[in-house]
Amino acid sequence: MDPHYSSLGTQAEAVNHIFDTLVAADENLQIKPGLAVSWKPIADDVWEFKLRQGVKFHDGSDFDAQDVKFSLERVPVVTGPSSMTIFVRRVKDVQIIDPYTVHIRTDGPAPVLPYDFVRLYIVSSRAAKDYSTRETAAQGFNSGKAAIGTGPFKFVSWEPKGDLVLERFDGYWGGPAAWKKVVRKEIQNDSSRLAALKAGQVDLINDVSSIDYLKLGKDSAVKTFVGESAYVMNLQLDQRPDVMPGIRAKDGSRLAKNPLTDIRVREAIDAAIDRRTMVDIVLEGLGKPAKEVLPPGFFGYSKAVPDPVYDPAKARKLLAEAGYPNGFQIDLYCTSDRLPGDAAICQGLGQMLSAVGIKTNVNAVSKTVYFPAQARGEYSVAMNGWGTLTGEASNMLGSLYHTKDDAKGLGAYNRISYSDPKLDALIEQGIMEMDEGKRRAIFEEAVTKATASKVLIPIVQLESVWAAKAGLLNFKPRTDQNTLAQSITPAR
Amino acid sequence: MLGFVIQRLMQALAVMAVMSVIVFIGIHAVGNPVDIVLPPEASQAIRAETIQRLGLGRPLWEQYGIFVWNLLHGDFGRSFVYNIPVLDLIGSRLPATTELVVIAITFATVVGVSLGVYAGVKPASFGARAVMGVSILGFSVPSFWVGLILILIFAVWLGWLPPGGRGETVTVFGVPWSFLTLDGLDHLVLPALNLALFKMAMMIRLARAGTRETMLSDTVKFARAAGISEATILRRHVLKLISIPIITVFGLELGSTLAFAVVTETIFSWPGVGKLIIDSIAVLDRPVIVAYLVLTALLFVTINLTVDLVFAAIDPRIRTGRQLA
Repeated sequence: MDPHYSSLGTQAEAVNHIFDTLVAADENLQIKPGLAVSWKPIADDVWEFKLRQGVKFHDGSDFDAQDVKFSLERVPVVTGPSSMTIFVRRVKDVQIIDPYTVHIRTDGPAPVLPYDFVRLYIVSSRAAKDYSTRETAAQGFNSGKAAIGTGPFKFVSWEPKGDLVLERFDGYWGGPAAWKKVVRKEIQNDSSRLAALKAGQVDLINDVSSIDYLKLGKDSAVKTFVGESAYVMNLQLDQRPDVMPGIRAKDGSRLAKNPLTDIRVREAIDAAIDRRTMVDIVLEGLGKPAKEVLPPGFFGYSKAVPDPVYDPAKARKLLAEAGYPNGFQIDLYCTSDRLPGDAAICQGLGQMLSAVGIKTNVNAVSKTVYFPAQARGEYSVAMNGWGTLTGEASNMLGSLYHTKDDAKGLGAYNRISYSDPKLDALIEQGIMEMDEGKRRAIFEEAVTKATASKVLIPIVQLESVWAAKAGLLNFKPRTDQNTLAQSITPAR
Repeated sequence: MLGFVIQRLMQALAVMAVMSVIVFIGIHAVGNPVDIVLPPEASQAIRAETIQRLGLGRPLWEQYGIFVWNLLHGDFGRSFVYNIPVLDLIGSRLPATTELVVIAITFATVVGVSLGVYAGVKPASFGARAVMGVSILGFSVPSFWVGLILILIFAVWLGWLPPGGRGETVTVFGVPWSFLTLDGLDHLVLPALNLALFKMAMMIRLARAGTRETMLSDTVKFARAAGISEATILRRHVLKLISIPIITVFGLELGSTLAFAVVTETIFSWPGVGKLIIDSIAVLDRPVIVAYLVLTALLFVTINLTVDLVFAAIDPRIRTGRQLA
């Protein structure tokens, strides 16, 4: 339960009930004041945060600048493998100006700092003081002794992958939540989760599968909530010229060079994908055709990118022009257990690509196998989802499209060896630009450029489904798919 | 006898060593856990730092050496995901699995043996045929499907029993047990039944075969001739004669069910070690997976060792035979 140990999705969602962040994100991942009421850069490398006054911790003590400094400095000490350090990597030091003002110095201009802070939880400096080494942290937080936050719910008990029991905190600065007691259960199996809802053991479930969603439409006892997700499924096309595991001629012989390095081949693949059918048939309507690896409305989403057009005839023509009139053969890899519909979309892709002459062998594998193998460079053609959970483009551009650059810390998820110096320069310029208007323009240009390269082919933006007993509650889905008790209100 | 015991202990140790190496190499072959748990925004520097901190960058033999060294000091390492010592984590889940398994196996044995003896005594009757039919079903229908059907019928349609989870617990000597509360028992019924069905089918077949054989034996014939009632014959002689294979199987099944109650625990979200291992595999939480598999190996080695030693104590031919070979 240590909010500074892991940034894994379910963990971040669980601690969100107990702890607050300086900067909060609304349902559409637009940032808004949290424990900080305002923030502004006062120099190129200094941000000033004004803190909210009158905020109480669950133990009754006051929240102030000391807790912010303590929390920021605690992260690198206690973080685990799913590192939280990324949210404070730009922070050089924290200065307390007065109890409700802090100055945060960064290593150079850091315009996205407020976005980083969306997932940085503030703990009580007094309660967590004795539980801030790697050995003691888990003990203090899992028992609840140090799990003192300012959030809408108080910690009652927790067991790993089991129930998290919460109780309403009446002194919450944002007004008390609607529920006195909340139990958050982790039920991994889709059918078991649905059964738990139908049997009345739980009131709301998340991640309803598309098949179940169809059935639930006819069930008047259950109400479903559909929300857009930040995840966009995309096809990743390896750009290594000579190495091409899983790509060969139709007869199995070796090709002279990697066909994916030819823009015409990539355009052919793009034109071969019928996104509308993918959404309507494969996902039972739970999604939207995507044209960028970023959902519409996010900071940096570009309106200049043209809509993709499904045109199999053009795809065949482009392949012939590129020197593959008979097509070729690829192994397509994707996850089967990470995001709703991932394996099904992959199957659909396989059929669509085969239809234009690219014989596709679909391999849907567990994420446990997929990610390490992709990191080792074993896949030339792979599909998985990318969720821009920060709500702005530098996260996606910097991780996926920027040249892999250890020194700059960029391109960590560029698994396709893509490199365009002009795009790199643009991304770096955007990351450094403190002026919001200019930064938006730079990111939009970069997204347009990146999308045009067709090295990552966006397919669909996913939608997520929640289900609840009819007439019991209202729920506002969030783009980051978090299920938070504070966004559930009683019906009527 | 002492020589035999030492020899078997050495063998057991060798099996454990080989097993731990296989587990270690196997889990290493899947890939680097950092690629799964690291968040997408993580830079190379953070990735490198994490790998270094977890010791994942060292050569495999070195990682294994460190693992064994820590193991000899009673330290199984800490879970990547929860930052909790693995032994504590597994220990906290063990009571849930233990009570589920013990109840399921006991139920399977009592009911299975009774039905099996009945089917063996009156093999031609309608009831016996029904029992045998059910036992075939118990063997051939997959456990996850039965589990879902049980949930559908008893939890969703009838609403008699909860569909999953563990329910209220009572802490005795610092260990939480759920079979001591009404709510806990409620939660136990379906998963225990699900787990018991396969074992019950096996017990039925075992008991029936044993009973049919024994019923034709001279012992039973003479007993009948002496005018002893059928009930007494069954209780005193038949049950005694068929109990040896049943007890052996009971022990072995207890071990394997303890280790592999995975399917039932997943479907009923039963917070036991089976669910823990599945959850851990999903995120490649290496220390948990390795420790679990090593402990499982230890469990089986211990069971086999005990069985061998008990047999050797009973039957001298076994130990002398081994020594000659």
